[in-house]
Amino acid sequence: MADIAFLLIIFFMVTINFEVDKTQVFLPKTEIRLEIPKKSAYISVTESGQIRVSGGEEISVPVHPEDVLSFAADVVARDPQRAFVLKADTNVPYRYVDGVMDSLKQAKAQVIYLLSEQETVDSAASGG
Amino acid sequence: MKFKKGQVDDEIPTASMADIAFLLIIYFMVTTTFAATRGLDFSLPQEEDSPLVDKEESVLIEVQPGGVLVVDNKPLQLDQILDYLKPKLERNPMKPVIIRSTEMTEYGHMVSVFDELRQAPEKIGIEIKNVSIPTQREIDMFWY
Repeated sequence: MADIAFLLIIFFMVTINFEVDKTQVFLPKTEIRLEIPKKSAYISVTESGQIRVSGGEEISVPVHPEDVLSFAADVVARDPQRAFVLKADTNVPYRYVDGVMDSLKQAKAQVIYLLSEQETVDSAASGG
Repeated sequence: MKFKKGQVDDEIPTASMADIAFLLIIYFMVTTTFAATRGLDFSLPQEEDSPLVDKEESVLIEVQPGGVLVVDNKPLQLDQILDYLKPKLERNPMKPVIIRSTEMTEYGHMVSVFDELRQAPEKIGIEIKNVSIPTQREIDMFWY
């Protein structure tokens, strides 16, 4: 019994993924989905345009849209290779995302991952 | 002399081991979240002043609210874009494709277009190497 229990513990310890950003958003659906590197910096944008950021190790904190640039510049200064994950709601007006993308470009970020869910045949057929 | 009283048990007591193990299992089960850890990657240009492509040479995809697409001033459906791009890409594989969304366009529609372009190798057999998503500031600065 204890052996099985320890096997399970090891499984959970290996697979556990500390989620740095717990913002609830409806992600866009895409067919191409690549694995995001571990410890990427997260920027989440809710449908109402509220932004939260995390450097990848700490829990995300809400920031003002103008402060995204200084956050991104700080992350890039520490690790120029660090990937950014944009976790934006599928219904958020593009101008909010545009502001974030612009900050990342100015901060000389190298790669942005647009977090998404798997597109399925059903969701594609229903237009969403 | 007899030392029976002082004899110690030479085995580690393991009776509570399973209890501890199960407590740990429950802890990990409760804290585990199956987070979404996949997405579309988008590499940003790294040159100091990335050359903005000539408007005449590029294909401009405008994404309007509700997912209405206007490609080079012609309305197209999402699944028609790649067929429209194919002859142009066959002539010039480096043909720049610009995705431009209006302020009120829903983010999801822009992502669908980007996803569609990324599927070009599977759907039309050509990779679209030069996709750019300019921001409003860049458009204001460099557009003409």
